[in-house]
Amino acid sequence: MARDVFIRIGNWLENRAGWRAARRHLLDEPLPAGTGWWFTLGSVLLAALALQAVTGVLLSLTYAPTPDHAHESVRYIDQSIRAGAFLRGLHYYGATIIVIAAALHVVRVVVFGAYRKPRELTWLTGLALLLVILAFALTGYLLPWDQRAYWATVVTINIAALTPVVGELVAGIMRGGPEIGALTLTRWYAAHVIVLPAILVLLVALHLYLMRRHGISGPWGRKGDGSELFPRSHRIIQTRPPFFPFYPYQAARDVTAALIVIAILIALASRGAPPLEPVADPAEAGYMPRPEWYFLGLFQLLKYFPGRLEVVGAIVIPGLVLLLLALLPWIDRGPSRDPAERRLPLAIFGVIALSLGALTAAGWRDRPPPADSEWTIREVGGAAMASDVACTRCHADGGVADPVGPGTITRDAAWIEGHLFDPEMIAPGLREPPESNEREIEALLAFLARARRGDRPPPLAHADVTAMRVFARFCIGCHRIEKGGRDGGDEGPDLSNIGQKHDPAALRRWIADPEAVNADAEMPAFGTRLSEDEMTTLVEWLGGQRAAPNDGRE
Amino acid sequence: MSSDPLASRRRLLSWFVRGALTTAGAAVAALAGLIAVPAASVRARRWTRAARFSDLEPNVPTPVIVTTARRDGWHRARRPQVIFLTVTRDDQVRALSATCTHLGCRVSWNAPADRFECPCHRGVYDRDGRVVSGPPPAPLPPVAARVDFARDEVHVEI
Repeated sequence: MARDVFIRIGNWLENRAGWRAARRHLLDEPLPAGTGWWFTLGSVLLAALALQAVTGVLLSLTYAPTPDHAHESVRYIDQSIRAGAFLRGLHYYGATIIVIAAALHVVRVVVFGAYRKPRELTWLTGLALLLVILAFALTGYLLPWDQRAYWATVVTINIAALTPVVGELVAGIMRGGPEIGALTLTRWYAAHVIVLPAILVLLVALHLYLMRRHGISGPWGRKGDGSELFPRSHRIIQTRPPFFPFYPYQAARDVTAALIVIAILIALASRGAPPLEPVADPAEAGYMPRPEWYFLGLFQLLKYFPGRLEVVGAIVIPGLVLLLLALLPWIDRGPSRDPAERRLPLAIFGVIALSLGALTAAGWRDRPPPADSEWTIREVGGAAMASDVACTRCHADGGVADPVGPGTITRDAAWIEGHLFDPEMIAPGLREPPESNEREIEALLAFLARARRGDRPPPLAHADVTAMRVFARFCIGCHRIEKGGRDGGDEGPDLSNIGQKHDPAALRRWIADPEAVNADAEMPAFGTRLSEDEMTTLVEWLGGQRAAPNDGRE
Repeated sequence: MSSDPLASRRRLLSWFVRGALTTAGAAVAALAGLIAVPAASVRARRWTRAARFSDLEPNVPTPVIVTTARRDGWHRARRPQVIFLTVTRDDQVRALSATCTHLGCRVSWNAPADRFECPCHRGVYDRDGRVVSGPPPAPLPPVAARVDFARDEVHVEI
């Protein structure tokens, strides 16, 4: 019964849309014998692109392309949406997988000579698709609006500006305004989600149409390019040897390869995308922009061309390489597709591929040493202060503001400074601004600068943290301790080895009332300003400040 | 040449269709160009307070962040810029932009090595902003600066 209904619906559709013929045309594609695993890469790419479209649409449900909200909305996706981090991981690593699959696809086409006559246009549309994929990667990179995004885009637009004659025009179109900002973000977003997808769909359709028109090139064992075996008519389906139908034989290989790639992608994405960096900040000094790995080769190339020659590294060489690749079908016109008889084109491609690989490796290795990662006393003290009620009254889960910590800081340094010196500025009349002194604000700023970079405070004993907090509030204006970094004042003595000179009891007497110990002392008395607990932890901690190897660090 | 009225009619209509499509295409391209190419905008430079003169050390480039209000399309942005201020021997202040002339990254002052360094592509400048090595095509751009000794303020024109 049910079967009857399906058949009748099928017949109804067949009479009106001719779908059975269309399906046959799609699935019974004749493939030359010997077409194997190497020929699954196109389908893998198609699957990865489709997945990228789905994850992209899902991300766009939440993402807001404005400088005020882009970073926060991406953070929201990462931290607050169910499976949001996984979703962003899929989209992020999906891009990487697509670049790898596209590169392998190009290698396969070159090795098999599949670009040769009559498939020149298939090759050119493929190269155009490669550029579209890279444009996707570039435009997508800006959207999270973090430091990495901002500075990579600064470099990208400045490279575009180097183009002879039209450089400034192109850079202006990319920027949308005099500087990188709100207008740039909306432009790149529109390119990423509307313009590029439209171009991609058109090019993929053209690429597939051309692929079907000339058939799969297949292995190089046959003489000629195989086109003579192929009737140009679309209707005639040959599936007798030396051909076999796409479905289900090659389709099973394609699906297997795609499933393997998707499994790898899921494994990569399970820990989410690399964490967001601090929000874009044009004033951040010494930020070290690094591009995504597939642009490292170009990044490295730029280092070799000084001064006026930079246009050579940025535009001329990449342009020539692209031109050479585009011309491969016209360079490679010998009688055979056998790689052994195509030395010149393969040598050209090999040199290009090896150079790109070597540059990428050099760019990968040529990374700066990580900045000093040890937390200073001021930073640790600031972290302790940030967990005080003065901050957490508002900055708490479910409070009027987000909790403060690594990965949650979205404001730039100037804003934070203003907020700390005058919390009223943000929420006038909402509450009494918390009391704080200048040193506390400096410590908080030091901590927040650290937290903006996504660093977590080191795991220290509670007593140490308390002591460092007291030190950061009362002592650091005049004293320094070596392990606290270059931070601290020089009016008082360096306390790096104070534990070797005085025991805690003596330190307590001195700190409580210096003049009682030495009538000439210039240091103010802290006996009444420190609580009993604070005094005890401070002198115990100071007593532990000794020269290495026993420097008192836990 | 044909005097066949049907043929000339067909030729006329065909010209009409092609002409209309070409015009429509050109109009769409012109509109896209009009929207996509941003109008040139020149922002007038303004003198802005950058630092307290007494905070600067003689002969040491000190980075200061100077924030100016900018219109960024519909977005009113406060744009921070980093300027290096150096007190010269005659108690004047020399100001240098901290933007690398290569590809626009932010240079920083390496005091022990006595030079500015760009983290992106290894551009190096001396304390006067002249290129020492690496890819930068031009010295660090100077910024006009003046000192108001009465108020202990350094102003820069950005």
